[in-house]
Parts: sequence; C-alpha cells; structure tokens
Amino acid sequence: MHKEDQMTPNQRLQAFMTGGEMDRILSMPLIVSILHRVVGMTHKEKRSSAENEAAAHIGCYKKYGNDILIIEYGLHGIGRALGNKMTDPEDSVPAIEENVLKDLDDLDKLDFSLTTKDKDPELQRILEVCRICKEKVGDEVPIGVLISGPFTAAASVYPVEKMLKASRKSPEKVHALLRKATDALKGIYVDFIKEGIIIIQCDPISSGSLLHINQYREFVKPYASELNETIVEAGGVNVMHMCGDISKTIHDIVETGGAMLSIDNVVDMEFAKNEVGNQLPLLGNVDPVGVLLHGSKEEVFEAVKETIRKGYDSPKGFILASGCDITQNVLVENIDAFMEASRIYGKYPLDKELLGIEE
Amino acid sequence: MSKTKEELLKLLSDSVFEMEEEEGVRELAQEYIDAGYDALEGITAGLVDGMNRAGQMYEEEEYFITDLLLCSDAMYAGLEVLQPHLPKKDLESEKVYKCVIGVVQGDTHDIGKNLVKIMLETAGFEMYDLGRDVPLKDFVDKAKEADADLICLSTLMTTTMPGMKTVVEMLKEEGMYGKVKVMVGGGPISQAYCNKIEASGYAANAVEAVNLAKVVVGMGIPA
Repeated sequence: MHKEDQMTPNQRLQAFMTGGEMDRILSMPLIVSILHRVVGMTHKEKRSSAENEAAAHIGCYKKYGNDILIIEYGLHGIGRALGNKMTDPEDSVPAIEENVLKDLDDLDKLDFSLTTKDKDPELQRILEVCRICKEKVGDEVPIGVLISGPFTAAASVYPVEKMLKASRKSPEKVHALLRKATDALKGIYVDFIKEGIIIIQCDPISSGSLLHINQYREFVKPYASELNETIVEAGGVNVMHMCGDISKTIHDIVETGGAMLSIDNVVDMEFAKNEVGNQLPLLGNVDPVGVLLHGSKEEVFEAVKETIRKGYDSPKGFILASGCDITQNVLVENIDAFMEASRIYGKYPLDKELLGIEE
Repeated sequence: MSKTKEELLKLLSDSVFEMEEEEGVRELAQEYIDAGYDALEGITAGLVDGMNRAGQMYEEEEYFITDLLLCSDAMYAGLEVLQPHLPKKDLESEKVYKCVIGVVQGDTHDIGKNLVKIMLETAGFEMYDLGRDVPLKDFVDKAKEADADLICLSTLMTTTMPGMKTVVEMLKEEGMYGKVKVMVGGGPISQAYCNKIEASGYAANAVEAVNLAKVVVGMGIPA
C-alpha cells in the first residue's frame, strides 16, 4: 500500500461499489503511453517483453498508488494481428503505416483467427503481462486492459476515411466488417476477463467528433451493446472511455450497457453528471494537454480541485481521472502533482470549504 | 431538349451538395462542356458553389464529416473533367494564394488535414499537400520552392505538437517568418498553443480554417 494511504486500491474500489467508507477519492490517471517514462525505460524496452512491461506497471504503482493499472492491448490490435504494416519506433507508440484491408470486397480474404490468443503472440504477451501483475500486486490493485470498441477495431483494419464514405455508399459492407471485428473482440475480451482483468473499452473513432449520432446508432450501438452483453455474461466489468465530444451521443453510449463511463475533457463533467450521472459512475476528466502537458504544478492542483468539485456528488459515484491517456511528453512531475492533489482535495470526508463548495 | 447553362450550373452544384456518384458528376460536367459553356464558371458557380453550400451545412451541424468527404469526392470528379478546359490566362489573371499543408512528422492521422485541404482548395487556394508524417524541413523547403503564402500544420497527437514550433523556428531562421503565415490545427491544439509558438492562427474546424486563412494572407483585400 502507498505510504500516504490508509486503504489499498482494491479496498477502496470495493467500498466505492458498496457504499462503504473510503480514505480518499479513487484516483485513476490514465497512465498508458507515458508508463515507460515513469520508470525510466524506452517505449520499445517496455513492450519488448511481458516481464519488462509488468515491471513498469508495478514500478509505477509502487510510486503513485494509483487506483488501477491499465495494460495496453491497444486500439490497433485487431488490424495488427491481421497483418497491418505497423511502425516499430524506439521510444514512442507504434502506429499504423498501412491498413491490411484495401478494399472492403476483400474482407473474406482476411483470416480473423489470427486475432485469437492461439495465433497472436502479441496477445499472448499482453495476457502474460496481466498474469504477472495480477500475481505480484493483484491483491492490492485492480488491473484493467485498454482495448478498442467495435468501430475503432474496424478502423484498425480499414482506413477511417474510406470507412466513413462506405458507411453511406455500401453500408452492408461496413456492417460485414463490424460483424467480424466485433466477434474477434468478443473472444479477446473474454480472454482478459478470465484473467480477472477489467475491460477499459475505448472507441475514439466512434466519437461524436467524427460520427453523426445516426451513424453511431446504426454502425456502433448494436455492436457495442452486444459486446457489453458478452462482458456481463463472462462476469466482467466494462469501463467505457470515450474520446472527443460525446454530448449528443452520451445517452446512446450509456444505453449500450457498460458499467462506468469515462469522459474526455471536452465534455463538461457537470453536463455528464446531469445527463447520465444517475445511471452509472463517471470518471474524468482533467485536461491531459492544457493542464497535464502544458500546465504547472499549481495548475494541476487547481484542475484536480475543480474536477472533484464538479463531479463529487454525481449520484452513482465519481472517480477522478485524466480526460484521456497521458502522453509521454508530459512531465512525470505533473503525475506526481495529480496524485498529490488527489490526496489533498480528495481526502474523505471531503473538505467542502477547501474545495470551494457552498453548502 | 438541351438544358440551359443556368440549369446545368445548378445541377453541378446540386450534384456536389447532394453527394452524387462520381460517375454521374463526370457525365454532367461533360454535358456542360459539350454544350460549349465556360469551364471556369462551371467550377466556380457549379462545383465550388455546391461545396460551399456543403460547408455551410457543416457549420450549421446539418452535415457531418462523412458528408463533406462525399461532397468532395463529387467535386473532384467534376473538376477532373472541367479543369483541362480552363484557358491558361484564367489561372494567371490574378494573384493565386498558395498553401503548403501536411500532418507533422510522427503522426499519421490525416482526416482533419484532408478536410482543411478540400475547403481551402474550394476557396481558391493553390494547394501543395505533403501528406502525413511529413519531415518538418519539407514544409519550409516546399514553401520556399512554391513561393507559398501559407503553411498549414496539423496533428492529433501531443507528442508531435512540438514539430509545429520547430517549423515556425525554421521559418525564422530562413528569414521567411511573417512573409509565410503558419496556421495550426488538430485535436490537442488550441489558441493558447498557437500564441505560445507564435503561429499566425488556429482554427477549430475546416470551415473556420478557410475564413482564418483568407484573413491571414489578406485574400480579397486590395493591395
């Protein structure tokens, strides 16, 4: 347990879910892309072996006592396993160079069994990271996996711009791709759930910043709902993280059935609380760029305080988080500040005067 | 009965606005040329008019990104047919504003860049699209070579944002800063960041980018 806490993250989460007493607010900065920096590895060193990656997560947890470890299956996993050309940079996150599918008519030529754990060595490695973390610190801290939702998974196989156009010109072909991507995801979600891992489902390409609400309803919602059914049947939990502006789709997203919703900083926490706060717990949403990347320690403190002030009374509960993944060029000291501020402003019982909340 | 010029211009504009199949737009553009009408007018009062209407609908949130992409496909299909019929002098008669555009090195997300390119092209800029993951020096080299008025830099990732600052600094070193304006955009970019790196302007979406581009280069303002 972190020296400044009175409860382990598991105890804290348990109390959160059952309405028990907590020492402080749950604090889950999305430490994914920056993980290697926190422990002084290069990104390639981190991803080169399950042992290294697990060591990075555990080192980070020992330092911060953050309330969840987020292991990265990632947003490109399905396309990668199917044969995308990916970059392999020394010290940053691999990106898609070329999608494996050039023409939707060639969909049947893809062998989706390549995405299963029997055939995808990278998935095997990531599952191994989960196992090591679970064994070493799993009795203290929840472990989650960041994995794509249906539309982003499809977009990892076929270029986004082409897919957007096809959604209008040949919608049945887009549905065929989504069908296969969704089925592949189901198997992978279950693999992680069987290891006791929380699903952190991200579907940025389905964000309201890219899709019209009608497109969301036709091309995302049915598949996302199916995936949530699969997660529940397997005994898992889905924390949905949505990037970008979801102010129009927020009710549809919640209706797909995830357990919690993590929002981007472009959506106001007060708005989310009023719209869906009575349906599920909310996570969010300290600005990862304006504040964590470009801000000072004082600005991080101010943002944490402001976010808690807006979210603390959300009917189904509130978890402090960053609005998106913290990128690797953020000063690690600002994560220190985030956690320090969580312990000051988020200490229970909340000091409303300190937070500037009027009774 | 053959259609009048006005009817055909309206059809060209509608074919873009209503995202007709590319083949249909090509046929329509060919019909317009075969009738002996002016190619430049076919572009400006037909195709571009349709794209501008689409841009307006985008601003009013009636059209979305998918719609703009489909409209632009229709527009480019029509342009393929009409452009070869433009007399040379029309291209040289007035100042043509030139713009170099691309996604900065390290980033491959290019939907936003593509939309801005389409809308700037629609507004009459001559575009030099360097694509995505563009080495920073290429922006400066291309701007010099093409004698560009504007460089547009896009990125969705925070890790590649510093590249924008580097381009501004390179322009300063080359003595091109000020003469060549720099516009920045993309998910993590803000007006504050634009000010910090001393770029000429930031726009939140493709339609705003056009308005801003015209202002920073002084398009339409008599010299």
